[in-house]
Amino acid sequence: MGEEILRMEKIDKSFPGVHALDHVDFDLKRGEVHALMGENGAGKSTLMKVLTGIYQKDSGKITYQGREVNYHSTREAQADGIVIVHQELNMVGDLTVAQNIFIGREFMHGPTIDDKKMIMESRKLFERLKIDIDPSARMKDLTVGKQQMCEIAKAISHECKVIVFDEPSAALTEKEIDDLFAIIRDLRKQDLGIIYISHRMDEIKVITDRVTVMRDGTYVGTLITKDCSKEDIIKMMVGRVIYEQPKEKSLVPDDAPVVLKVENLNAGRMVQDVSFELHKGEILGFSGLMGAGRTETARAIFGADPKQSGKIYINGTEVDIKSPQDAVKHGIGYLSEDRKRYGIVVQKTIIENSTLACLEEYMSGISINKSKEKKATEKVIDELNIKTPSSDQPVVNLSGGNQQKVVIAKWLVKNCDILIFDEPTRGIDVGAKNEIYKLMNSLAAQGKSIIMISSEMTEILRMSDRIVIMCEGRVTGEIKIEDATQEMIMNKATRNIK
Amino acid sequence: MFIVNKGNKSDLGIMKEPGSRSKAGGRKVEKFKNLPFVKKVGFSRIVLTAVLILMYAIFCITIDGFAGKAHLMGTLNYVYFLGFLSLGVTFVIATGGIDFSIGPVMFCCALVSGYCFLNYGMPMGASLLLCIAVGLMFGLFNGYLVAYWSVPPFIVSMASMNIAKGAAAIFTKSMSVSWPLESADGGWFRKLATFNGFPTGLVIFLVAALICGFILNNTRIGRYILCLGSNKEAVRLSGIDVKKWEMAAYVICGVLVGIAAIFFVGVYTTVQPNYGDQYNNEAIAGCVMGGTSMAGGLASIGGTVIGVFIISLLQEGILAYKLGKDVQLIITGIIVIVAVYADVVARRRKN
Repeated sequence: MGEEILRMEKIDKSFPGVHALDHVDFDLKRGEVHALMGENGAGKSTLMKVLTGIYQKDSGKITYQGREVNYHSTREAQADGIVIVHQELNMVGDLTVAQNIFIGREFMHGPTIDDKKMIMESRKLFERLKIDIDPSARMKDLTVGKQQMCEIAKAISHECKVIVFDEPSAALTEKEIDDLFAIIRDLRKQDLGIIYISHRMDEIKVITDRVTVMRDGTYVGTLITKDCSKEDIIKMMVGRVIYEQPKEKSLVPDDAPVVLKVENLNAGRMVQDVSFELHKGEILGFSGLMGAGRTETARAIFGADPKQSGKIYINGTEVDIKSPQDAVKHGIGYLSEDRKRYGIVVQKTIIENSTLACLEEYMSGISINKSKEKKATEKVIDELNIKTPSSDQPVVNLSGGNQQKVVIAKWLVKNCDILIFDEPTRGIDVGAKNEIYKLMNSLAAQGKSIIMISSEMTEILRMSDRIVIMCEGRVTGEIKIEDATQEMIMNKATRNIK
Repeated sequence: MFIVNKGNKSDLGIMKEPGSRSKAGGRKVEKFKNLPFVKKVGFSRIVLTAVLILMYAIFCITIDGFAGKAHLMGTLNYVYFLGFLSLGVTFVIATGGIDFSIGPVMFCCALVSGYCFLNYGMPMGASLLLCIAVGLMFGLFNGYLVAYWSVPPFIVSMASMNIAKGAAAIFTKSMSVSWPLESADGGWFRKLATFNGFPTGLVIFLVAALICGFILNNTRIGRYILCLGSNKEAVRLSGIDVKKWEMAAYVICGVLVGIAAIFFVGVYTTVQPNYGDQYNNEAIAGCVMGGTSMAGGLASIGGTVIGVFIISLLQEGILAYKLGKDVQLIITGIIVIVAVYADVVARRRKN
């Protein structure tokens, strides 16, 4: 670690009704990876947006490379060498990878864009970063993980001295995370200052030098990573210690009835001959690498995507699910991965979103019983601890974690018996994660049955009663929690890879 | 109130960055926006009403004899049919779609049913119903293609527009159709527009607007239409039959277009084939001006009503200035651009 490259002092920022940043301090050295942690709503993203010019601070000082700066746009910040890789990807799906990377600064050959040169330069960039992506591929054909790698490559391709990663590993596989860390170590060697925003404690411990914790818009403290423990950091974040132990034994009896049986499901390349059973009151973990076909399986069961063949039985009776409508009628709820795109109607209020799946139950005659809606919504806001000034809030104004909770709320209000949670705690802070785990356990105890798709090993081991592992479209293993180990799961998750 | 658009309230204690330029004037505007009355009625609706009143004042001052019953009635006559067109297209735009066939379909309804009345001896009551039925048919056609065949609304409505024009011309053998005068047989239908000088049309229109507002605000169909206009896939994945509800919006529009036809001939008597395009733009402009977003998901019946009044008053004013039809067209075109641009800016600010 070298000398200081960035110092933010007493940064203050308010929005109507919210004091988002309360005299926050932050400093960054050259050649350092500095983690920025905090619960959802703590102010981490806001602080970074102030740094990179998306927001204007109300007061405070930012010193960069020895001089005071105040950026009014990301372009200004970028030109000065401060670059941010956002949590939500900013790529144009229909353009190629190379075109996306050089968007706004295309190489020209006379009056036309020199695609060949862009592809060549992209290839060089990827080689340097040891990323295996074809620059001429169309962005929307890539997996989310690969898209993120492109976003990172794009950010790095600007001549930058400070780079901010906002939840970079959320959509990456374990291998891609290793690649990412290799890139970050490389950047550190080149004396860049790296700010790493993440919820993942294990990663923080592996890759960062210092950790700064924020809580409710205030600066709590900074620790040296190797001198502190996970519990120290968590205590600073939430004020209490949470232990993450794997589940030792399932409480679900062996003879519990089978509520959902999937037989020889085939839906394209990603779902091949998938069969499994779900018992009442059970949490069935679906583990596997990204691209294993878990989401596709869930969507096929839910009727969201067409299937070629396969039978689905609910409580012993065969059902015909051709659309999400059918699935919901049979009591299945699906909480999708990408909540903004598939989970919530962003412009509408929490109330409108939470009763969306069962509006028929909130009618009086032909009109909607709005007070009944509101009551039900407030109950579930309470249950899920959704942070919002009122139930009338448009969902777009909530933080990511709270938006996720609104999607869960929708299925709670519908009172489904079978719930499919696809990456339920992605992008959510430790405090909210535990709330969701508690919720899942209480739902299972009530007799609801849950399929939990997750790429986080600790989550799978902690929550599941049984684990189904998929790899490249096939089920490769099924284990009880008492027999499960991380190695066994990873083994089965990589079995079919040639 | 029939206010669906709550997007004007930017001050509910949430993480949104207001405009970064806060001049003294801007602060006064913010204070005004925070008044409880303003919040309830909607800032943009108040601005629109102010514009309307200002326009009327300017016309009264600059045009001799503008103030007075004649021009008021002239404006109202325009409001009736345009109002129903705008109400109809509000539902379609709320789903994120568009309908360019409303003008020609309106004419098709009036031509076909009028022809039946004149030449086939169809009683007036039945003709009125047929008028609405033709509108309904086009609504079904548009809605089915958009919702079930996933044809882009732009294309479908363009096609409909041409089909409406062609079908009407064939049906009436390219002749214009004049509906009966008040004194003639069947002329009683004109009482729907004006009854002994009393603007019954206005009452009917406002009641219809209230009903439409109720539908959008308080019924399942309204809720689904607005939600699917905002994020169709999320609504589909919530177990809702989005195709059915998307088509419903076009069907509602079709019915309202049929009613619009009745008011058009109730006031203007004669309809000709191959006509009606200009009213598309005016209806859409009135709707978007009022706060309904072209992106879908956000609609305001109250705003549409005020927008319709503004456009109708403008038409009347241009007529009184004796500026001619062509100037009318240019001005309407400019208004559409301005209204849609304002919508884009408002949306950008909200994001």
